[in-house]
Amino acid sequence: MMEKFLNWLEEKFMPPMARLAEQRHLKAVRDGVISTLPLIIVGSFFIIIAQPPVEALQEMVAPYVGDIMIPFRMTVGLMSVYAAYGMGYSLARSYKLDGVSGGVLSLATFLMMNVPLNVDGVINEAVEAGIEGAAPMGWVLPMGNLGGAGMFTAILSMIVAVEIMRFMTVKNFTLTMPEQVPESVARSFEALFPATVVIVLAWIVRVMLNFDINELLMSIFSPLIEISGNNYFGVMLPVLLITLLWAAGIHGVSVIGSVMRPAWLIMLDANIEAVAEGGSMTFGEGGLPYIAPEPFYQWLVWVGGAGATLALAILFLFSKSVYLKQVGKFSIVPGIFNINEPMIFGAPIVMNPILAIPFILAPVVTTTISYFAVRVGFVSGFTVMAPWTLPAPIGAWMATGGSFAAVFLVLLNILVALAIYYPFFKVYEKKMIEEENEEVSNDSQTSKNTKTATA
Amino acid sequence: MKVLMVCSGGMSSAIVVKSLKQEAEKQGVDLDIKAVGTGEFEEEVKNDYDYALVAPQVKHRFKDYKASADAAGVPCELIPPRGYTPLGAPSLIKQIQAGVN
Repeated sequence: MMEKFLNWLEEKFMPPMARLAEQRHLKAVRDGVISTLPLIIVGSFFIIIAQPPVEALQEMVAPYVGDIMIPFRMTVGLMSVYAAYGMGYSLARSYKLDGVSGGVLSLATFLMMNVPLNVDGVINEAVEAGIEGAAPMGWVLPMGNLGGAGMFTAILSMIVAVEIMRFMTVKNFTLTMPEQVPESVARSFEALFPATVVIVLAWIVRVMLNFDINELLMSIFSPLIEISGNNYFGVMLPVLLITLLWAAGIHGVSVIGSVMRPAWLIMLDANIEAVAEGGSMTFGEGGLPYIAPEPFYQWLVWVGGAGATLALAILFLFSKSVYLKQVGKFSIVPGIFNINEPMIFGAPIVMNPILAIPFILAPVVTTTISYFAVRVGFVSGFTVMAPWTLPAPIGAWMATGGSFAAVFLVLLNILVALAIYYPFFKVYEKKMIEEENEEVSNDSQTSKNTKTATA
Repeated sequence: MKVLMVCSGGMSSAIVVKSLKQEAEKQGVDLDIKAVGTGEFEEEVKNDYDYALVAPQVKHRFKDYKASADAAGVPCELIPPRGYTPLGAPSLIKQIQAGVN
């Protein structure tokens, strides 16, 4: 029964999912978003400085919160700007077009979707009224839609810009330079016609027709983000998809993350923004708007890697099976740092009808516990993106801005995973020990045979 | 021989690479091997490699890796699931030797 299911996973479920994730435009989204992660990690950490976990420190830094959060605003707060370039670069490269041109064109299109303002009229009045600090500042670009809120606009801009560039290149609507012109100069001219078309098109749509694409996209996607961020089943869905893909042997987080990571980043940005505005660190009214950005899964659910396999590595360490003990020994240290391929392919968990069950079940249960723990405010929500190779208790502590309840929850989840893995581990161990004993008796049989043969 | 291994982020392949190096030393095999993540593969494979290996959990991207490797004239193969653990090092060394020749 379970074997049939695993075969179905491998043959029917996995190939279309994997194909989807490898789809050219999604891949560009993945690459572009991943290229922003170092900035997101560094930028999000400033919330810990602005909202230190110690009350005395909080009072001390309170007057400087605005200044402290500037690195956050320039990284997480502008994530769609960076992503627009990275995605455009990746998509152009996938068509064998010039990556930098594609990135720049995508970025320009995205920026064109935002209208700069000149508020000097108002400021001049303030100057005349003698208000301190008021000074004309020329044109300014509102940042509201340049962070997470602009992500879908960035994705659409990237697709439109690079596809136009590709179409015009394929149809030869480009300036071709005489051969004597150096290649880099020629390349910059190649993008000239596509740039003209893209910019004029964006200008007509955004300025002349005054059509706010960002508002439209957000009204379409906001309900989806609400579901995947706060609805129990929406939060559970990635967990199921990721563990099912791993059970069929492919990297679940890398596949599902391609689709989900933009949404996860939008949630993280909104969470940090809420705290920066003086909200509390827990989920709910007056606090964080989202339960489950990526760190939720990373630290509370994937303890030791996808499938919460740290628990299994611990069980293997104490196994009487020689083989499983060996697997436990080489899996435990990577597991502490959330790398579990040695375990997944060593045990193996892939296509294993016994171990695949707790591999899916344990994260489902720990997700349920964690979801309600965050929802009712037992632990703080997630405002920081910490590097995923940190041991889970440390990562959880950082990612929640210093919540010890989160550390406790990680430890509880490890115990729960231990309890869920245990009966399946016992069944599998028994099978392995039987096989090992058979091998030993076979070996002694053969050695006896060789002995008689030589004698 | 110079070998390149690719996985998703370059983390798990680094673990396998470490055990491969130990095994190669034990067997006295000359092995220069490096692990990279998906994003780095296309550029890295151009650097005079004799052979490229793809981790099993990213087999759904094999076609892409193979295309980059082909363009660089490097033979490219998938690692069987069981080979992708520290215990799989001896069989993986055999695969590398067979693949390079």
